[in-house]
Amino acid sequence: MEAVTTHDHAHGHDEHAHHPAGIMRWITTTNHKDIGTLYLIFSLTMFFIGGLLAMGIRAELFQPGLQYWRPEFFNQLTTMHGLIMVFGAIMPAFVGFANWQIPMMIGAPDMAFARMNNWSFWLLPPAALLLVSSFFVPGGAPAAGWTIYAPLSTQMGPDMDLGIFALHIMGASSIMGSINIVTTILNMRAPGMTLMKMPLFVWTWLITAYLLIAVMPVLAGAITMVLTDRHFGTNFFNAAGGGDPVMFQHIFWFFGHPEVYIMILPAFGIVSQVIPAFARKPLFGYASMVYATSSIAILSFIVWAHHMFATGMPAAGQLFFMYATMLIAVPTGVKVFNWIATMWKGSMTFETPMLFACGFIFVFTIGGFTGLILAIAPVDIQAQDTYYVVAHFHYVLVAGSLFAIFAGTYFWLPKWTGHMYDEALGKWHFWLSIIFFNITFFPMHFLGLAGMPRRVPDYALQFADFNMIASIGALGFGLSQLLFVACVIKCAKGGAAAPAKPWEGADTLEWTLPSPAPYHSFETPPVVK
Amino acid sequence: MAEPVPERPKAGPLEAAIAVCSAFLGIRRRAAYEKDAVRLTPVQVIVAGIIGAVIFVLSLVTLVHFITS
Repeated sequence: MEAVTTHDHAHGHDEHAHHPAGIMRWITTTNHKDIGTLYLIFSLTMFFIGGLLAMGIRAELFQPGLQYWRPEFFNQLTTMHGLIMVFGAIMPAFVGFANWQIPMMIGAPDMAFARMNNWSFWLLPPAALLLVSSFFVPGGAPAAGWTIYAPLSTQMGPDMDLGIFALHIMGASSIMGSINIVTTILNMRAPGMTLMKMPLFVWTWLITAYLLIAVMPVLAGAITMVLTDRHFGTNFFNAAGGGDPVMFQHIFWFFGHPEVYIMILPAFGIVSQVIPAFARKPLFGYASMVYATSSIAILSFIVWAHHMFATGMPAAGQLFFMYATMLIAVPTGVKVFNWIATMWKGSMTFETPMLFACGFIFVFTIGGFTGLILAIAPVDIQAQDTYYVVAHFHYVLVAGSLFAIFAGTYFWLPKWTGHMYDEALGKWHFWLSIIFFNITFFPMHFLGLAGMPRRVPDYALQFADFNMIASIGALGFGLSQLLFVACVIKCAKGGAAAPAKPWEGADTLEWTLPSPAPYHSFETPPVVK
Repeated sequence: MAEPVPERPKAGPLEAAIAVCSAFLGIRRRAAYEKDAVRLTPVQVIVAGIIGAVIFVLSLVTLVHFITS
């Protein structure tokens, strides 16, 4: 993409001098970069809280028998780990990327609704506080699993109310963020940037934002019904009162499956920016990538009941959801093919962002294939609620979403901070992460196929060896993430000055700005040819 | 003074349907895609997409009905 910038950034760094300094700058900010940074810091904090809970889970499962926790508390650990990682870590991280990158990539000065942007972010810390503080109420934190299935969720203590309110607030934040993103992309693109000239990260976020607007209200409806069942005498999910607990699962997964794509489409976008930059070739099949993303988004609405094969649905229902689910492999396969075709005969180098992007393709594809296996209804009946499912979704969410977040962070850190990150440290982070990730989660496939159920604090002796390996891997993976923090802090504090375009093959608009990017990105819009 | 924008030729429903079918598969010939980008309006694509999704669901339901009967 060629762009002509006419904006003078000589005073770029002083432009926020008239804003409040110190903590008030962050509380009152309406700047997309400040808010992006807040989202990313929030997400990193939640990632470590969720990670700490995961360490608690793996410590308990290191050996058979009950070692550290009561079974009730173990259930709280698994539930809160899931909720925190999904709603507190992965989703806000991508919104952070959207805030930083979308205005810069489309040649806009800021997000469309700057004040709402501030509000979207500042809803999150109180929500997180509600969620995490539920550990300290009588009965402890929610323990119904991250899916908060009825009737468990209708019967728990005050913790569930805190969880429900936290999810409501986080949902409101997501909807506001999405409206902002859609409006920004549709109305604030630089002259000449047609929809089909937008960087793929922007495209994936546009589609993700529509998914969020479509399904977050569904989640809100489901948890509100749980709330009224709990306190206001309704019987939506109470079989004794004429309700149906399975209906909760239908409503939840009508939100939950598009949610899976909400957590992976922006990751596809990041990888689609990183790979062409380090292969020094334009993205292969740009249009088919856009088409495939739209196609995945539409299909994501008609596959939800593949999470419910074991609830006793009729054979016709099982077949429908099985076929629909398997067909998602087609557009996803197109994407993986296009990434590999982009690399084909490219002049590749393997800096840290590219390593994470390649790691993403390799490991995410494994997760995709196990998803395809689970899509087969008779297989799923066997593997339902076993560690095979745990392995599958960690391959998709950790090696998929999280690795893409790492790739994007290393890719854009020079633009954000004005410094190059420590390449050696970044590479250590990558190699330790991918090795320990596989040590942790690969054995879980064997555990699941051998019949080990998920969400149990104790297990039969035949599962001991693989659990011990997984726990050692988890500790290694957790510790490796400290390298990431070290690398980011080191880069933020100093290091070699980053040029405007540190990556030779990168060609989107943000690289036409100096590094660090000026406080206001494009006061005069660039002209895209 | 800005140059007058040439009126773009309108695509028919068949072209919209073909473009959406290609989108479901995720594969499109470059020349055809470039023609789509000029001739198709977003409304045409969205309407064709919704109709395509409904046809997709109905054909799966028919297939399942055929198998289970």
